[in-house]
Amino acid sequence: MVQRVITVYVIIMAFFPIANPAKICGLVSSKISLFTAAISYSTLTESCNRPFRMGWVDESTFIVLYIGSIIAILGIVITAAGACMSAGNLRFQKLGLKCSIIGAIAEIIGYVLCYVAYIMVQDSARLNKVNPEMPLGVFSFGVIALVLLILSVYINAGLPKANKDMPYEMESKYKLFLMFLPFAILAFMFCYLPLYGWRYAFFDYQSGGTLSMNNFVGFKWFTYLFQNVATRADLLNVMKNTLGISGLNVLTQWLPMVFAVFLCEVGSMRFCRFVQAFTTIPNFISWVLVYAVALSIFATDGFVNTFAQQMGLLAEDAKATNYLGGNSHIWIKMWGWGTWKGVGWSAIIYIAGISGIDQSLYEAATVDGAGRFQKMWHITVPGLLPTFFVLLLMAIAGILSNGLDQYLVFENAENRSSIRVLDLYVYRLGIGSGSIPLSTVVGMFKSVISVILLFGANAISKALRGESIV
Amino acid sequence: MAKTVQEKLDEKKEKEYYKKHKKMYRTTPADTVFNVLNYLFFTIFTLSCIFPFYYLFINTVSDNELVRKGMVNFYPKGFNIDNYLALREVGDLGTAFLVSLSRTIIGTLLMVLASAFVGYLVTKQEMWHRSFWYRFLVITMYFNAGLIPTYLNMDLLGLTGNYLVYILPGIVAPYNIILVKTYIESIPAELEESAFIDGASYMVVFRKLILPLSKPILATVAIFGAVGHWNSFQDSLLYMQGNETMFTLQHRLYNYLNTASNLGTLMNQGGTQAMDALEQALNSKVIKYTISMVTIIPIFCVYPFMQRYFEKGIMLGAVKG
Repeated sequence: MVQRVITVYVIIMAFFPIANPAKICGLVSSKISLFTAAISYSTLTESCNRPFRMGWVDESTFIVLYIGSIIAILGIVITAAGACMSAGNLRFQKLGLKCSIIGAIAEIIGYVLCYVAYIMVQDSARLNKVNPEMPLGVFSFGVIALVLLILSVYINAGLPKANKDMPYEMESKYKLFLMFLPFAILAFMFCYLPLYGWRYAFFDYQSGGTLSMNNFVGFKWFTYLFQNVATRADLLNVMKNTLGISGLNVLTQWLPMVFAVFLCEVGSMRFCRFVQAFTTIPNFISWVLVYAVALSIFATDGFVNTFAQQMGLLAEDAKATNYLGGNSHIWIKMWGWGTWKGVGWSAIIYIAGISGIDQSLYEAATVDGAGRFQKMWHITVPGLLPTFFVLLLMAIAGILSNGLDQYLVFENAENRSSIRVLDLYVYRLGIGSGSIPLSTVVGMFKSVISVILLFGANAISKALRGESIV
Repeated sequence: MAKTVQEKLDEKKEKEYYKKHKKMYRTTPADTVFNVLNYLFFTIFTLSCIFPFYYLFINTVSDNELVRKGMVNFYPKGFNIDNYLALREVGDLGTAFLVSLSRTIIGTLLMVLASAFVGYLVTKQEMWHRSFWYRFLVITMYFNAGLIPTYLNMDLLGLTGNYLVYILPGIVAPYNIILVKTYIESIPAELEESAFIDGASYMVVFRKLILPLSKPILATVAIFGAVGHWNSFQDSLLYMQGNETMFTLQHRLYNYLNTASNLGTLMNQGGTQAMDALEQALNSKVIKYTISMVTIIPIFCVYPFMQRYFEKGIMLGAVKG
C-alpha cells in the first residue's frame, strides 16, 4: 500500500517543475519538469546555445544531466509497473517488489548523475552567467526513492518465497481497474489538472514568468475586476451581450419544436425526408465555414449585392453594403446564424418524439371531431413538452457559455462592442492582452456559476418532474 | 449496405402512419392555405440551407473574369477547374490539409477504440470501485476549468505547438463512453457469460464479441468524432500560436478570410491605397471560395453515410445513465 502511494506521488511530482532535480543552474528553465527534461534534450538546453559556444559550460555537463533525467524517469516507470503488479497474487507481488527495487536504484543513479552535473557546472569559468543552483529536488526525490527501496526490500524479506510453478494471476477486479487506469490518467490530465491552473488567479503572473511567494497577491485580481473602472465597464458590457444573445436563444427554444410539428404536417413523406436531409447540413460545418458562406452571400462583393445591382434594385453608383460590417442588430444577426445552423438538427429529436406518440390518441381525437390544429395543439405539443422542458433547462444552464468560435469569426472592428460575449472576452483578455490572472478570474466565475446553474436546473427538473437531467 | 429487417419494418410503419394521418384530415380551404404556406416555408428554408454552398461552388468553377464582375449568380459560366489546380500554388495549404486529415483519422480511431474499451470496462460490476471511476469520468462533462487554465495546463504538459495536442485530449470522451456503455448493456449478458465459461479473457471477449456487436453505435460515435476533428479550429488557434506548420485547415481558412474582411473595412474608409488593396482582395476572392469548398467537400462526402446514423445517435443520447 505504502509502496503504491509513494510511487503515485513520485510520478505526479515528476511532471511538476517545482523541485525538479534537473534544475542545476540558471540555464535550465524553471518551467520544465523532470519529465520534460528527460524527453526533450532541446527543451532542456533551450537557453544554452550561447553558453556552449562561449565555453562557459561544457556540453558534456548537459549530456550527463540529460542521461541522469532519462535514467530517473525510466526508474519511475519501472516502479510504476511494480506498483501495478503488487495488486496480483504472491508471484506477481514478488515480481512487483523486484521492479520497485530496481526502479528505485535506477532513480537514485539518475539523481546522482544530476548532482554530478551540478558539481561539473560549478567548475564553470563564468559562474555569474551560469548561476549554479543547489538542486534541492535531488535530495527530496532521492530520499523518497531511498524510502521506497528500503521499504521494498523489507516487504520482500517478509513475504514467503513464491513457488516457481505458481502462475501469474490477479483478481479480476484489479485487472479491470488496471486496464481502466490509462484512461483515468488521461481524464485526470486533461479535465482535472486544468483546475490546478486556477492558482494563477492569486498571483501577479506575467506570461513566461514564474509563480512564487514574491508575486502572491491573494484576492487582488478579484477585487480589481470590480473596482477598476475600465474592467468593470468591460464586464458589464460583456455580460449584457452574453445574456442578450443567450436570452434570445432561450426565448426561441420552441422554434425547433414548431419546425418539427409543422414538418410532420407536410403530407408528402419524400418532401419531409428531403427537408430533413438538407436542413441538417449547416449543423455539420464549422463556424469558420459558416463565416465563409456568410461572406460569399452578404459581403460587399457577395451574392446579395451583386444580384441587387444586376436587377437594378441598387442604383449604378450606389455603394455596396457590407451586411456583416456594421454594428447594428448584432444580437439578432448572431441569433439568426445560430438558428440557421441549428434548427434543422434540433428538430430531429422532436420528429423522433412525434413518431413515438400513441396513434390511438389521434384517432380518438378525430372521432371526437377535433380539427388539425386542435390535434396539433392538444396532442402533439403536450407529447413533446417533456423533451422541450429538458432542452430548455439545459439552455438556461448554459446561458453563460455561448462558445467562442462563432463570435470570434464574426467579430470585426465595428461590431466589437456588441458581439463581445464572455468566452470571447476571456480569450481576448488572456491570449490577446496577456492578462492571465485576470482572465483566469473571469473564467473561474464563469465555471462556478455554470455549475451552479446546471445543478439548479437539475433541482428544478427533479422537483417538477421527478426526473434528473444530468 | 443492406437494410436490416428492423429498419425495413420501421420504414413500413412510418409510411403507414403518414398514410393514416393524411386520411384523417378533411380538407378545408383553411387547410389548403396552411398546406401551401407550409410547403412554401420549408422550401424556402431548405433552399437557404443549400444555396450558399451551391453559390460558392459555381463561383469556383466559373470564368474568373465573370466572377469578378459578379455575373455568376445561379449557374456556372465558362466552366473550368483551374481554381482548384491553382490551389497547389497557395503555400501551406497542403500541409494544413494533411494535418487536418491525419488528426481526423488518428484522433477518431483512437477515440472510438477508447470509447468502446472504456464503455465495456465500466459495464463490469466487478471492477475495483467501478461506480466511483465511472462518475470520475462522467462528471468531467459538467465542469470546465476555463479557457486560460486549460491553455496553461497544455503549456505545463509541454503540448503547446505539439501535434499531440490534437489527439490526446480527445481520446477520453465521456459522452461517447456513456453512449457505448448504454449500448453494450443492451447486449444479452448470456453471450459474454458463455464466452467466459469457454475460458476467454476480458481482452478476447472485448475483441471478438463486444467490438463486432457494437458496430452500429461505434459508427455513430466515429462519425460525430470525425466531424468534430475536421471542424475543430479552437485548439489550433490556442495551442499552435508559435507553430504555423501545425495549423489545421480550418485555421488557415480563417486566416485567409480574415485578411479579406480587413480589406473590406479598409475599403469602407476609402482612399487610393485601400482601392489597390481591394483590387487584390477581389483577385483572391475566388481563391478564398475555392479554399472554402475544399474544406466543405469532405463533410459533403461523408454526409450521406452520416444520415443513417445520427438520428440513432441523438436518440440514444437522450437516454443517459
